[in-house]
Amino acid sequence: MGNVFGKKSKPPKQPAITEQDRAILQLKQQRDRLTQNRRRIESQLEREREVAKQLLKNGQKDRALLLLRKKKMLESQLDKSENILENVERMTHDLEFAQVQVDVVHSLKQGNDALKKMNELLKLEDIEKLMEDSREAVEYQNEVSNLLSGGLSRVDEEDVEAELDELIRREESADISRLPDIPHHREQRPVVSPTRTKQRVAIEAD
Amino acid sequence: MSATKISELSWFHDFPPFFTLQPNLDTRRKQLDAWCSLILDYCRMKKVCTFDVNDASKFPPFFNAKINRQLDSNFIQVILEELRSRGNIEWEDKSKRRCLVLWKSPEEWAKTIYQWITAHGMNGTVCTFYELLHGDDTRSAEFHNIDPQLFRRVLGELEKRGQATVFADNGTEGVKFS
Repeated sequence: MGNVFGKKSKPPKQPAITEQDRAILQLKQQRDRLTQNRRRIESQLEREREVAKQLLKNGQKDRALLLLRKKKMLESQLDKSENILENVERMTHDLEFAQVQVDVVHSLKQGNDALKKMNELLKLEDIEKLMEDSREAVEYQNEVSNLLSGGLSRVDEEDVEAELDELIRREESADISRLPDIPHHREQRPVVSPTRTKQRVAIEAD
Repeated sequence: MSATKISELSWFHDFPPFFTLQPNLDTRRKQLDAWCSLILDYCRMKKVCTFDVNDASKFPPFFNAKINRQLDSNFIQVILEELRSRGNIEWEDKSKRRCLVLWKSPEEWAKTIYQWITAHGMNGTVCTFYELLHGDDTRSAEFHNIDPQLFRRVLGELEKRGQATVFADNGTEGVKFS
């Protein structure tokens, strides 16, 4: 940022004080003084109101009137200082914001420079060649994996089919041994359960 | 008003022997412990940050009108020395008349202030001492209205850490936080 007037350079780096910081400090001091002024006038107004009330109670109308006039004067002064305070505060904010903007522009510029430097490192032909190379490499890789996966899956397929056949065979033999006895014709046995089991077996076999 | 508050802090403030330095070493140790915590609690409650030995007789914990007891200056010195050795007070002058009362260590204060600054997005801005100590914005902050001497001490702590720079312009001082 150029003009840096760092006071001390101790091992842990303290924030540096710039000309702008000094200007801001001055403004803020001014603001503090105005705030103090406002507080003083406000407390004075409060007191005067009390006194005026007291005077009215005592019947000293003239003095109360005088006091109220003074109060009016103070109030207009308060208004004025309020306006000045607003100006000072706006100025401070503007200054602080301008500083932020300067910082932003500065860092944008730095970023831009860095980006340029990086771009210089990369030449277009190199990249084209690199992309070409990597495309070839990807194609080669795809071919290899196609070959490999094709071989593998065929073996797998056979294994799986064999296992499935084995399963079905075992299920069927179990089914036959589990069949219920032939029902006696007199008893009305529920015929539901064997069919259900059969259904379940069919589903499992699927 | 403060007396009732003190009795809320500790019951032994109403206990006459508490105001006499105990000869038995064990008892004295306990007595000094109690005095130290009473003083620190009182200062925290009242936000008292400095102590002047000249005003010792007016310092509320050091006397109790209800039981007609008060500390003699010798006992006060013993207590102050005890507090100093614990790091709870720091003498401001060589003659040991004025001291800072640190019911919160400067490091803790520094942390509190810096946290407040960060929470209010005021890093990198310039502030006047007045706005930090007496401004409307800091009204709810713990460091509002603390003693300026203590505040300087804490800012020194922040400077050591590289989190602040105190600078002066036209005689009035300001601080910039990082």
